[in-house]
Amino acid sequence: MPTSSATSDDTEMLLRRCVSGDRGAFRLLYDRWGNRLYGIALRITREAALAADATQDAFVQIWQQAHRFDPGRGSAEGWLIGIVRYRALDIIRRRSREVPGYEAEDREDDAPNALTRLLNTAEGAALHRCLGELEEDRRRLVVLAFVDGLSHSELAERMSVPLGTIKSWIRRSLISLRGCLAS
Amino acid sequence: MSDEADRDLLAAEYVLGVLEGEDRDTAIRLLADDPDFARAVEAWQQRLTPLALQVAPVTPPADLWQRIAARTEQTATIVPLHRRVRFWQATTAGALAIAASLAAFIVLHQPAPTRVAVLSPLAGGAAPVLMAIAEQNGTLVVRPTAQIAVPADKDLELWQLPQGATRPQSLGVLPASGKTLDVALAQNTQLLVSLEPKGGSPTGQPTGPVLYGGLLTTPRG
Repeated sequence: MPTSSATSDDTEMLLRRCVSGDRGAFRLLYDRWGNRLYGIALRITREAALAADATQDAFVQIWQQAHRFDPGRGSAEGWLIGIVRYRALDIIRRRSREVPGYEAEDREDDAPNALTRLLNTAEGAALHRCLGELEEDRRRLVVLAFVDGLSHSELAERMSVPLGTIKSWIRRSLISLRGCLAS
Repeated sequence: MSDEADRDLLAAEYVLGVLEGEDRDTAIRLLADDPDFARAVEAWQQRLTPLALQVAPVTPPADLWQRIAARTEQTATIVPLHRRVRFWQATTAGALAIAASLAAFIVLHQPAPTRVAVLSPLAGGAAPVLMAIAEQNGTLVVRPTAQIAVPADKDLELWQLPQGATRPQSLGVLPASGKTLDVALAQNTQLLVSLEPKGGSPTGQPTGPVLYGGLLTTPRG
């Protein structure tokens, strides 16, 4: 069930050692998390070079800001993943602004299969249950946004639905998730 | 809908990653300025993180670690690192206090000190937290002007970085209450303070973040 309290503690401990400038701990953190963060970045950027840039920036930020991680406010995994996702999103949002017409290559949408893997952890199981309460197309929107990094307008285009409709669907899905996860 | 509920949804949309343009800029600005918004973002991050853990890990390019190591080794030495100030609590009164205590110090210590340094967060923005006075006889007095909180398993270490030098020289561990030492200081030099393991840097060079710095100069007037 809850997979990884041991792993989570380890990650926390490695972060604490990074705060004191421990390069060995930083290397261990990379060995443990490099594949996973790179996978997340690759899914969002869909280009190996951009994903490598995002992962590099993320680890530099992790090293410099390890002291900002506060276990009282969330898990070490959540903190690491948050950093790489924002770096990857920054890169693709900037890219789409600077390169008119730039569109990352589409990928197969494997979200439905991926969701069953949520059941591996307690938090994941709760999220799975709550996503299950959404209508299927709304659930797909949430996954396409969070996992694949699609913006409001990219979702509108992908689903052939007006932008305003997408925004309101997303908001309602988020309100529903918040309520369900709190219960 | 209340403002608060609106803010929470904006935080959720930011974490979800759907925001673009102005909305995204607004969220990024709030994240820096508004602690409640930052907490809402963290809460949503925790709620949604399990989804990201579903993504299959992929082996990164072989040179990625070298790239990361090269960039973090540079920053480990002397380049000021941003936002390390959480360990330090510079009061907003710090800037005023420093002027007052500096004046008192000069009056009490005749003859006038030769050189003075005001050490401020290298990340910028916050008030000075330490001052240092180098007297002609080689005494260097370092005193905090704001309360400094140092983690129990850490020590501060004082360094001088003479002009033109690439590596700082250790002046020893610096208690949060300050200290007085006898030391040969270079003619033109910066004073720096880094956060180190208990007992000071094991390598003779800063290993943790360089938090504070200031140039030692002759006060005017």
